[in-house]
Amino acid sequence: MRVDPNLSLILSAGMQGTEQALNTSVQQLASGQRVAVPSDNPYAAAANLRSLAASSNVDRYTKNGEAALSQAQMADSALSNVISDLMQAVTLGTRGADGTMNSADRASIAAQVQSVLSGVVSQANLKSNGVGLFSGTASVTDAFVADSTSPNGYTYQGNSGVNQTTIGDGTQVNTNIPGDQIFTNSGGNVLGSLTQLVTVLKSGTTSDIADATAAVSSAIANVSQQRVIYAGTVNQINAQESYLSQETISLTSQQQALTGIDTATAITNLTQAQIAHSAVLAAAAKILPTSLLDYLK
Amino acid sequence: MIGLNGSLSIASEALSAQYAGLEVANNNIANANTPGYTRQEVSLSSAASLQNGVSVDEGVTYNGYTSVRDEVLNLEINAKTSDNGSLTAQNAALTQVNTAFSGTTSGIGASISKLFSDLLALSTNPSDPSARQVVLTDANQLVGDFHQGAAALSSAATSSDRQVTSTVAQINQLTQQIASLNGQLATVTGGQQGGALEDQRDLLTTQLAQLVGIASTQTDTTPTLTTTNGSPLVVGNTSYALQVTTASDGTAHVLDSQGNDVTNKLTGGTLAGAITMRDSTLPGLSQQLDTLATQFATAMNAAQASGYDANGIAGTAMFSLPTDGSSAAAGIGVALASGASIAASSDGSGNSSGNLQALLAVQTTNLPGGATPTDSYANLVDNIGSAGAQVSTNLTATTASLQQLTTQQSSESGVSIDEETTNLIRYQQAYTAAAKVISTLTDLYTVLMNMTTGAL
Repeated sequence: MRVDPNLSLILSAGMQGTEQALNTSVQQLASGQRVAVPSDNPYAAAANLRSLAASSNVDRYTKNGEAALSQAQMADSALSNVISDLMQAVTLGTRGADGTMNSADRASIAAQVQSVLSGVVSQANLKSNGVGLFSGTASVTDAFVADSTSPNGYTYQGNSGVNQTTIGDGTQVNTNIPGDQIFTNSGGNVLGSLTQLVTVLKSGTTSDIADATAAVSSAIANVSQQRVIYAGTVNQINAQESYLSQETISLTSQQQALTGIDTATAITNLTQAQIAHSAVLAAAAKILPTSLLDYLK
Repeated sequence: MIGLNGSLSIASEALSAQYAGLEVANNNIANANTPGYTRQEVSLSSAASLQNGVSVDEGVTYNGYTSVRDEVLNLEINAKTSDNGSLTAQNAALTQVNTAFSGTTSGIGASISKLFSDLLALSTNPSDPSARQVVLTDANQLVGDFHQGAAALSSAATSSDRQVTSTVAQINQLTQQIASLNGQLATVTGGQQGGALEDQRDLLTTQLAQLVGIASTQTDTTPTLTTTNGSPLVVGNTSYALQVTTASDGTAHVLDSQGNDVTNKLTGGTLAGAITMRDSTLPGLSQQLDTLATQFATAMNAAQASGYDANGIAGTAMFSLPTDGSSAAAGIGVALASGASIAASSDGSGNSSGNLQALLAVQTTNLPGGATPTDSYANLVDNIGSAGAQVSTNLTATTASLQQLTTQQSSESGVSIDEETTNLIRYQQAYTAAAKVISTLTDLYTVLMNMTTGAL
């Protein structure tokens, strides 16, 4: 049987094939990706997009967790300061209830309690990024403003709204506790009890002062209870953060497996392509110049 | 016995026959690299006659030359070339589309993720104007990406449409040339081969097959070429031009010489490949993108409507969609004027993030199409990739198959320089020998002549 005499065409086709393989290997090594366009591996390209979307969410959940954590820690720290202030008020109230004190002494103590009250109010009006930590979801300048007509001495400007932040698929944490639940709660009224203590220190009996001091103690219990909520939030976020960092690693390796190269395989492919290309070139160099005419002298 | 005169005649015929062999070898060598050329072989036979019941050898007869070609193989090559032409056209369009949808850190998928990521970020501080602005920027980016995706698909369709027009022009030019060659071949004396003219016609026919699928028949002496659905292209020395007309949808439609619309009946070749892309593959993908744009915008707008913006006003649509039925992906826009219009609040209070949960839920809720927005986009990319991979794989297979057929054709019809060099030597030696015979016979004549004149 006759064979194809056009060796140059066969060799050209061979060279094109090996050059293509060489090109692909180099491209993959340079980009680190096996899938440059969806048609390289449609399933992997689509799965990679889903995985990248999940990664984007995990990144955001992590950042949300960090933001919520910072807010919760700030609120917790504020409440810790409030408890210290309240304990100081209890100490002052106890001293004021002592029958040996005269009115001038009590007026002096009242001034100190008033100062404590101011400190507590400034904590209650604390802001994070311009937003009141204890004003619910309302956009107000201050959560609590002085109001002489109110028995608490202050009026709550916020609302009872609670915001949630998503820190995982279907996982949300509350990022705030409404201020009235902490500072004007009927089960332990921080601002009301302090205002009452100031009033009775100025004009009340020792018994009134003792009652007002007891009310401040109840307020401490309430604030402590609210702190527990923040502590729970902090724990939840910490647990979620460690899960998310694991998830990030898992998604990254999933993406690498889907579209990334295995360096060893890629280098082996490159070596094979180089060998094949060299072989075709060597064959061309050896065969093409040879013809019967070379031997006819 | 044929005598001296008979011998001289045989030697003379031999000279002619060997010279014809040299001429054919010469022509083969001259066309060794000519595309479409099929090698020729000289046809010789030994001459003999019967005289008084005795066979008398009378040397060699030159019967002309034959081109070595395999018509069946040519038909196979033409069919495979048509497949290859169609797949090449489809591959070009799909490569363009695949490149446009290859983004992983940019593009629609990344923009959907970023939009939801920044909505999540907004939930930590819903009253932050800069966080709201970021979400609005994301929405604009997503809209831009939808526009780009739609443009990539429509640009590929427009390219395919232009290809239809330009391919028809090339087809008409080729059929004219083939008809003209048919006219010349019809005048070749009966029994003789067309040689290089047939080679040229075969080459043009293969080029035609690259452009459109053809069927070839030969009734009596009239070669006929039609499209695969039977529309005539060439009958004998007459060519029938295809025509292009602009349909009501603005696309180029192909009419046969009778004016029948054959656009959807053509198979094979660049023409059918471009039509398949323009009328089937690309519209399917565009529709999928439009559905995603429509359903995503509708879901986000519904979530917006359930909340309140930064000023406590009921949420308005985030995205606008074209109302004239045109492409949703190309016409989608951002309807919100400012970040403050994002309906993050569930109760009208400025710092509420309650409704962000409704907006974020769009990411994980199936659209009416049956998949989440990200999954819907991934499915679209999967379909684009699959279409590209399928065409690319088929093209690789067809190219390999075509190469095998071409090698087979070349092994039968290609010119081998070594073989022709051998032939040259062979015919040269035979020619020299025949000349020597004539020289010898001339000597014998001289002897005879001298005998009669007594010079011996």
